[in-house]
Amino acid sequence: EKTRQVSLEVIPNWLGPLQNLLHIRAVGTNSTLHYVWSSLGPLAVVMVATNTPHSTLSVNWSLLLSPEPDGGLMVLPKDSIQFSSALVFTRLLEFDSTNVSDTAAKPLGRPYPPYSLADFSWNNITDSLDPATLSATFQGHPMNDPTRTFANGSLAFRVQAFSRSSRPAQPPRLLHTADTCQLEVALIGASPRGNRSLFGLEVATLGQGPDCPSMQEQHSIDDEYAPAVFQLDQLLWGSLPSGFAQWRPVAYSQKPGGRESALPCQASPLHPALAYSLPQSPIVRAFFGSQNNFCAFNLTFGASTGPGYWDQHYLSWSMLLGVGFPPVDGLSPLVLGIMAVALGAPGLMLLGGGLVLLLHHKKYSEYQSIN
Amino acid sequence: MEEEDEEARALLAGGPDEADRGAPAAPGALPALCDPSRLAHRLLVLLLMCFLGFGSYFCYDNPAALQTQVKRDMQVNTTKFMLLYAWYSWPNVVLCFFGGFLIDRVFGIRWGTIIFSCFVCIGQVVFALGGIFNAFWLMEFGRFVFGIGGESLAVAQNTYAVSWFKGKELNLVFGLQLSMARIGSTVNMNLMGWLYSKIEALLGSAGHTTLGITLMIGGITCILSLICALALAYLDQRAERILHKEQGKTGEVIKLTDVKDFSLPLWLIFIICVCYYVAVFPFIGLGKVFFTEKFGFSSQAASAINSVVYVISAPMSPVFGLLVDKTGKNIIWVLCAVAATLVSHMMLAFTMWNPWIAMCLLGLSYSLLACALWPMVAFVVPEHQLGTAYGFMQSIQNLGLAIISIIAGMILDSRGYLFLEVFFIACVSLSLLSVVLLYLVNRAQGGNLNYSARQREEIKFSHTE
Repeated sequence: EKTRQVSLEVIPNWLGPLQNLLHIRAVGTNSTLHYVWSSLGPLAVVMVATNTPHSTLSVNWSLLLSPEPDGGLMVLPKDSIQFSSALVFTRLLEFDSTNVSDTAAKPLGRPYPPYSLADFSWNNITDSLDPATLSATFQGHPMNDPTRTFANGSLAFRVQAFSRSSRPAQPPRLLHTADTCQLEVALIGASPRGNRSLFGLEVATLGQGPDCPSMQEQHSIDDEYAPAVFQLDQLLWGSLPSGFAQWRPVAYSQKPGGRESALPCQASPLHPALAYSLPQSPIVRAFFGSQNNFCAFNLTFGASTGPGYWDQHYLSWSMLLGVGFPPVDGLSPLVLGIMAVALGAPGLMLLGGGLVLLLHHKKYSEYQSIN
Repeated sequence: MEEEDEEARALLAGGPDEADRGAPAAPGALPALCDPSRLAHRLLVLLLMCFLGFGSYFCYDNPAALQTQVKRDMQVNTTKFMLLYAWYSWPNVVLCFFGGFLIDRVFGIRWGTIIFSCFVCIGQVVFALGGIFNAFWLMEFGRFVFGIGGESLAVAQNTYAVSWFKGKELNLVFGLQLSMARIGSTVNMNLMGWLYSKIEALLGSAGHTTLGITLMIGGITCILSLICALALAYLDQRAERILHKEQGKTGEVIKLTDVKDFSLPLWLIFIICVCYYVAVFPFIGLGKVFFTEKFGFSSQAASAINSVVYVISAPMSPVFGLLVDKTGKNIIWVLCAVAATLVSHMMLAFTMWNPWIAMCLLGLSYSLLACALWPMVAFVVPEHQLGTAYGFMQSIQNLGLAIISIIAGMILDSRGYLFLEVFFIACVSLSLLSVVLLYLVNRAQGGNLNYSARQREEIKFSHTE
């Protein structure tokens, strides 16, 4: 749908300790989208599409916080649900890329022990809620940090919803619609454990049936909004229209991002993952129950050469999450306009000139014939 | 058969000239190689002319060939590195213009060529010393001095070509000179990196000294060019003595204000030149990343495809030169070349087709354009203004290249390669517009630009009779 009435609500837990549960509700004329973000366990989002503008989210905190959270999170009425899935950001990865050649079998280098995002402590999401921009930021650091690598650092997940189609000012400037929600991940100020550390994210999602969602790499001729990036990566849950995640394979080592600070972003293929090998998210369990097929993939940012996190201790990457057909970028009006003028002008000139010459020639030959 | 005709015609054309100028000093007594009126001697001169430009073209692209080494050894970023090219270009915006005047009015063609060759040599030596002393400002200054000589030398080279070959094999000569320049660039690209690694092995370490010595050895090509300049000056003077051939100027007073007397077709040729070249050279400069990112090429493959334009133009320039010589119709050939370039850029911008197709097309059209466009200047300008006209053409080409390089970098960083390509397409399109306009203006004014080779012959005979 073109526009949606978007509301952001932090659902408080009156009973116990502070827990971040952010509900983004995007109401259209015939449908409602629910994005439920939570830092309960690893950071996770549950996305639900319903075919009624009146569907609601119901949270049972005591169930959600119990060891068996099944049913603690529901979207009602249940039969209105058209699509649902989840993404879980399970671990922050770090690799030592010194002494790595491009041809090596493991191009990323030796891995350091990952940071589990289930063991992070997060800020109070209410403080960062901005109703004007429809955004909120989860900011966290490891609860136990014996080497104090995060003493001055944090990992931030900025979530933003949109009421209409537009394009952000910061690269990679992905086109978003009212059906989508943008996630911007930023690692700021954390001390890397090596001189040339590469960072990555482990992401888990729910498979549909026995299969994993499909990962697509689309090549395009258009890099106007993300200079020198000609690729768009997509994660699709089933046949369209369904849910999708979409990102440009580029991260930035400076703010604001630019071409000189662009890092390549690589996504590994999706592979089925055993549930116990991943940090578990209570909200995913609460919504989908315990019988689920998890699939996981790794995103890694940067390469052993070129700019990297080590330059400024900054790394940012963003993706779009949505339901329906993924937004498709077209050539910008400026490009089309310039091309129209650039091809039209000489063409018209040739046509007009040829016509004038033809007429002139005709006159001339008539004149000759009289003579 | 045709070649014999060509030679006979060339000799015939020489005949009446000699008769007009009174009895020469017994040319028949000299062997063909030493007789300035014979083809064999002109070929010797042509060889010297080609090597005259070799040194400056070889050294011009030294920074590009040693980009990683310069940036590492001198500890500069890409922006500062690019200043090496900017320092070459900026003085030429003014100096090319005066280079023409200096040749015509002050030094004469012979001394002018020698002096500019000296500047090229000194500039390269200072550039190399900057490396040895680890002073980047000295390198920049070296490039500045090098630039003072470089483009003016190209003007001198063209003037020599016109003075020896006008009405004979002029287009072929322009083509050959250009392919020599491209061979210089290509040899430099492949040789300098290898040379650097050899010096590095010899000295035991990489560093600014290694860089400086490598550049100093590269400067040998400049010495070679200086020797050619001296030999050419001698032969030209000798030809003047024997044939009473004049030194490429009439003695008429030339003023700066001559520029306003340039005809409309000449201005259109300038516009075609600037708009065309700004869509080729800056693209090649920024092309490598384009081929790796958009088409997934490896680094070596990207370098190879990026240099294919030069590689193609080396053998094709003489071929196209001969073609244009034989057929005439220069405007039609320029039109074809510009249109082909437009198609090539559109292929690169809007398709994922194998870029070898587009780059080979670009290489062919680039060679064709050079062979058909540059000689046109000689048809629309009186001979005494030729140096000025060519100087002016190179000057605004330099201005265009300096400005467009900066703009292209800015566009690339903010809007990406697609927009950059669209920008280049717009430039080529402006060039195409000017070609069409030139054709119409020439047609309306009854100009001689688009005559076939046969028509040119007829006119020449009617003049001599």
